[in-house]
Amino acid sequence: MVEIKDVSFSYFGGKEDLGLQSVNLTIRDGETVLLCGKSGCGKTTLTRLVNGLIPHYYDGTLKGNVIVEGKSVPDTELYDIAQMVGSVFQNPRSQFFNVDTTSELAFGCENLGMPENEVRERIRRTVNALSLEHLLDRSIFELSGGEKQKIACGSVSALEPKIIVLDEPTSNLDFDGIRELRGIIRRLKAAGKTILIAEHRLHFLKGIADRVVFMEDGKIREEYSGREFFSKEAAFYEDRGLRIPSIRQLPYREKQQAAEDEPLRLKNFCFGYPGKKQILHIPECEIPKGIVAVIGHNGAGKTTFAKSVCGLLKRDKGELFCQGRRLNARKRLSACCMVMQDTNHQLFTESVIDEVLLSMKKENREKAEKILDSLDLLSLKDEHPMSLSGGQKQRVAVAAALGSDRRILVFDEPTSGLDLTHMRETAGKILELGENGAVVLVVTHAPEFISCCCTHVLHMEQGRIVENYPLDREGQERMAAFFEGTGGKWEHADTAYEKRNGGQCPAGL
Amino acid sequence: MAKEFLKSGADSRKSLLDPRTKILLVITIAAIVLGGGSGRRMNVIRPALTAIPFVLFLLEKKWRLAAAYAFSYGLAYWGGIFLIPVTAGFCNSLLVAFCGIFAKFMPGIAMGAYLMNTTTVSEFMAAMERIHLPQKLSIPLSVVFRFFPTVREEYGAIGDAMRMRGIRFGGGKPFRMLEYRLIPLMVSCVKIGDELSAAALTRGLGAPVKRTNICRIGFGVCDAIAMIICIISIFLFLADKFAG
Repeated sequence: MVEIKDVSFSYFGGKEDLGLQSVNLTIRDGETVLLCGKSGCGKTTLTRLVNGLIPHYYDGTLKGNVIVEGKSVPDTELYDIAQMVGSVFQNPRSQFFNVDTTSELAFGCENLGMPENEVRERIRRTVNALSLEHLLDRSIFELSGGEKQKIACGSVSALEPKIIVLDEPTSNLDFDGIRELRGIIRRLKAAGKTILIAEHRLHFLKGIADRVVFMEDGKIREEYSGREFFSKEAAFYEDRGLRIPSIRQLPYREKQQAAEDEPLRLKNFCFGYPGKKQILHIPECEIPKGIVAVIGHNGAGKTTFAKSVCGLLKRDKGELFCQGRRLNARKRLSACCMVMQDTNHQLFTESVIDEVLLSMKKENREKAEKILDSLDLLSLKDEHPMSLSGGQKQRVAVAAALGSDRRILVFDEPTSGLDLTHMRETAGKILELGENGAVVLVVTHAPEFISCCCTHVLHMEQGRIVENYPLDREGQERMAAFFEGTGGKWEHADTAYEKRNGGQCPAGL
Repeated sequence: MAKEFLKSGADSRKSLLDPRTKILLVITIAAIVLGGGSGRRMNVIRPALTAIPFVLFLLEKKWRLAAAYAFSYGLAYWGGIFLIPVTAGFCNSLLVAFCGIFAKFMPGIAMGAYLMNTTTVSEFMAAMERIHLPQKLSIPLSVVFRFFPTVREEYGAIGDAMRMRGIRFGGGKPFRMLEYRLIPLMVSCVKIGDELSAAALTRGLGAPVKRTNICRIGFGVCDAIAMIICIISIFLFLADKFAG
């Protein structure tokens, strides 16, 4: 049981809007509660109250009381809370302490000094309950995002806490990863755990969440039962700035197809590491100008393809023909520009305006300011890029790409971890780029995003392009069918999952 | 290469040597090869120690690392012998400095790479506990140990971004290369470090109990041989320095 009683919190030195204001919430044993709301609405802060990171790790002013399993969180040490509350975070890269999976599963138990036999027994039980056998004794660097989150859940459940808190666990996952995570959450729920999830992506929790809490500006605004929440109309979610949970409800938008323009031609885009299977095999392909979504399952070679288009791969023999110019990998490096998933990696300078100037061939302050203005960044032009929020950083990266005057822009997962409003904003910017004549490739897992702004779909599997179609009304159907097939229809996915794993109720958790 | 470096943790679960032996080897090799001494005995011991990382790389089937080490050390050594006598002036002093430093540092660095490459974080922590290092020291040390692969991964990603934006030597601002490379690296390392600590704390790291460890480390025949080599080398090194 979790009781949050009239809690207000504000971070030290932080911005006002990230705190909480007189929040009351009671979570009963065995209940699964979904927290949703726009970025900065306080849902992450609320999870931190429950796992004790507030007030033990993040400083701030806390009023009110949080009681977990009868103990007051502020007065209980973190290592004691660890046995009652397990936490899974959004970034799989930074929540693993070990580099191999078995040690990671043992980590929590080892920290609490359990005897070796018991640690092994608990690992065995967890592995059975969550079917993680095939993931034992692997290096975490070779796991997919979904597998990493499974191990993270496993590591947490080995401590056998009653409550499990997940803070945006799908931010870095694709559809397959989300499906795997859903399977794990179902098993945890079936084992009677109390589960609290803060999320932007809602669709995968249909049929799992017992209660949905909608937050805004650090307050709890509305509460619904899971059934009630997931049966609302599309407008209900849009009004609240939430992502739409059902793919079929996505609005179809008429988009102009730039048909008269000559398409891009790709030739010999093949790539593989020596002695291993080819990851990319595209002997020839035509991509129409416009905004092209690159979709496909995990490991389909989407990111490799994106890197290849940008000329970032070594020993790349691919050639791209654009407006009669033949571009080899070296030339593509200066003709294309990629906005990476983690924008922290690609911002280098001390101020936003410098960032744009840096990528210009000839520095032109006036033009740079114009670009910033068009992206609502002018007021931030003297700020340090690293002090900005995630969405703002991404816009700075886009501004830099625009400044470089490159014709081909590639976005790798531009929407991961964005709420509806910010996703729409990004989509709007990308639409503008397309209207200004740039060719845009977007690697994405978000059907909402595709239906917002893309004009064409490139579907890849196993390094090959298997489908290549314009996103007209028929294309929209095909795209929706793809996403439903990989995970949109959870009920089917669940039955298949249970058939594979034999029965749904895990023993011994 | 980066991939191999990262993978190694799980592939070689039972590595040849105990982490403690590896640490001793790193210290011995670094100290003696760097520390010099040029007696007759030292002229045998230093090449022997220099060869150890190479042999270990081969035994662990790290062909690329072995080749890279042999090649770069060979080059520096060859340069020292053949190029220095035939050059003069500025070029000569540059070569002397370069080859000298390279040849002296390389074995220690290679041994360190071997340690990082073949030891998992968990083994490292177990070793720290066995030598009774207090938790106040062993936890930060293992965090640092955990961090190397991450830094390397981040470094690669930033390198990609720089190439794509055309920031390279020969571009407009060569002197700011370092800044452009390091600032994003520092920012993302701080962020990852922060998240890593939070995640570890919620799983009870730092609890005031004796930490257990399920990974089994222990000394074997190889360790004994390596230890003997280390002890003899250190003994002769000290004898050479202080007695002779």
